[in-house]
Amino acid sequence: MKRWIAGVTALVLMLGSALLASGCSSGSKTIKIGHAVALTGDASVFGQSEHTGLKIAVEEINKKGGILGKQVELVAADTRADPTETVNAVRRLVEQEKVVAIIGVAQSGVAMAATPIVTQAKVPMISTTSTNPYVTVDKSGKLQKYVFRVCFIDPYQGTVAAEFAYNRLNARKAAIMYDVGSDYSQWLAKYFEDAFTKLGGTVVGKEAYRTGELDFRAPLGKLKETEPDVLFLPLTQKDAALAVNQARELGIKATFLGGDNWGSPDILKLGGSALEGSYFINLASLDDPGIKKWIEQNQSRFGGPVVRNALLAYDAMLWLADAINRAKTTDGDKIVEALEQTKDLPVLTTDKFSVDPKTHNPLNRAAYITKIQNGQFVFFERFEPH
Amino acid sequence: MGELKVFLQTLITGLAIGGVYALMAVGYSLVFSILNFSNFAHGVVIMLGAYFGYYMCTLFHLPISLATTGAMLGAGLLAIANEKLAYRPLRLRSAVPLYFMISAMGASMFLENMVYVTVGAHFFSYPEVFKGSLSILHAKIGLLDVVALCVSAVAITGLTLFLNKAKLGIAIRAASRDMTVAGALGVNIDKLLSVVFFIAGAFAGIAGVFLGVKYMVYPTMGWITNKAYIAAVIGGIGSLPGAVIGGIILGVVESFVATYVSTALRDVFSFSLLVVLLMVMPSGLLGKTLEEKV
Repeated sequence: MKRWIAGVTALVLMLGSALLASGCSSGSKTIKIGHAVALTGDASVFGQSEHTGLKIAVEEINKKGGILGKQVELVAADTRADPTETVNAVRRLVEQEKVVAIIGVAQSGVAMAATPIVTQAKVPMISTTSTNPYVTVDKSGKLQKYVFRVCFIDPYQGTVAAEFAYNRLNARKAAIMYDVGSDYSQWLAKYFEDAFTKLGGTVVGKEAYRTGELDFRAPLGKLKETEPDVLFLPLTQKDAALAVNQARELGIKATFLGGDNWGSPDILKLGGSALEGSYFINLASLDDPGIKKWIEQNQSRFGGPVVRNALLAYDAMLWLADAINRAKTTDGDKIVEALEQTKDLPVLTTDKFSVDPKTHNPLNRAAYITKIQNGQFVFFERFEPH
Repeated sequence: MGELKVFLQTLITGLAIGGVYALMAVGYSLVFSILNFSNFAHGVVIMLGAYFGYYMCTLFHLPISLATTGAMLGAGLLAIANEKLAYRPLRLRSAVPLYFMISAMGASMFLENMVYVTVGAHFFSYPEVFKGSLSILHAKIGLLDVVALCVSAVAITGLTLFLNKAKLGIAIRAASRDMTVAGALGVNIDKLLSVVFFIAGAFAGIAGVFLGVKYMVYPTMGWITNKAYIAAVIGGIGSLPGAVIGGIILGVVESFVATYVSTALRDVFSFSLLVVLLMVMPSGLLGKTLEEKV
């Protein structure tokens, strides 16, 4: 009896090791791309959509024969949009999964936490929606060699928001409420303030709160006294939804203006009627004909509304595939070089995607003003960079 | 005039926030007064109360009043189950309060993660009810806050009457003096604790629905009860009037700090207030004893 058990155990072990061995050898037949994404947690609405968008891109690339004749294998790691979780997730991708590149880490503050790891491992990373300038170029002006992004940056976004408020909404008095716990919110508030003041407007009030706050009536009550024309809210969709409701409850009549973080469809349900007539700056317009067609084709895959992260992740994958094909190798440094040299690449959100090698930011990214009307996102206008 | 308006608005906002703190603090104090431990699972009962109410509003299209009743019932039963499964075994072994507290934290983490796994991390918002606001001398108060304050006042008054007049209420007060003696004198402690937890849970249900309607529903919303806990300690944990006073004081102080000092520094002030108060009055404003305070 005992011998029988020993025999079975030996057989299982042998089979197991054979499987392991074959697993290892097949590893070199594919190109592994990591996706560091918030699949759970507060940002999961963005993350889930982003992951689906990326999967669609990978499937399409594989159908056309993959990259360098190899199939692409996507490995996801959950970041929860939390810096600590992200460090663990990215470490797992580069150390255990040995991915050749990483797409994702959508939040600026969180992407910065991942930067030292990808830099040390020499694995290029393309962030989908982190808009803070310091993600790719650090505060001393040094380029983060391995970090790229597909979206525009906050100084630009802040300028667009300020110009839109001043020129199109004819606002002269603006108030701002921002989250001191978020790099994104804090800097976007500052860029907006600088640009709006430069145009000749006045920022009549600026109030901060701490991440996790639910009740904004105290800061909003103070801002109400300044009687602003526009209230700029560079906040997450959850905070923005709460803030607009409480602002209307206090009788604030200003037009609300938001940043790209508002671009999650669940803001419509969370914010309800208080959001009517608000505007925000979006990274991509879901009403663009090309994008509309893509969404219709893939709608069934999403099982819900498509968030702009899906489009940006799709773009990032096309960009990465193009770069690896041109580099003709999966060596990190060579991929970085090829990514930097990208010029006029047709992707989903633009026909001519180009990169500034000095900053790793895309060039000529348009901003899209979206209006909230009848409980829906409506394309309002396209802002070209000057 | 402008200054007065801001002052009045700040005061009203503070009272409205304080009312909800009070409602949550009552649940902490009630359990503490008898079992002498801080029931850190109270926060998740509030969170699940909010989910119960939300689903009754959206899936069964019940009006908010029925949804609130349902949430009270659901959260009450959940609190009883929590007591039976997590605390009763400890009670039978005469464990020290520290173990109850750790068991409460375990129950809290378990339930929170269950929601993550089953419902997910999405945010939900209740259908829009009690929209709009009233003006009092140019200061605005949300209709929902008025309703919340009234319901909180009625619920807390009702509880006070129950504890002072009803036979079961008197038994609860007796047990809060000394559970062993009350048991020896013929009070069925098991049944009594079920009633106590049901009441605490029902209060959590009301608080959950109000928080859900006012803000939104999500798995970590129970964390706001940290504030309610501070409120209970300020008022003297174990004392019901103390919980109410503590809640209102905390809400008003927070609101004034946020308006006249800085929103970002608000929590620094709330926690400093707690530390200073405990140095001067170690058992809180209306605290009954000093032993086993955690």
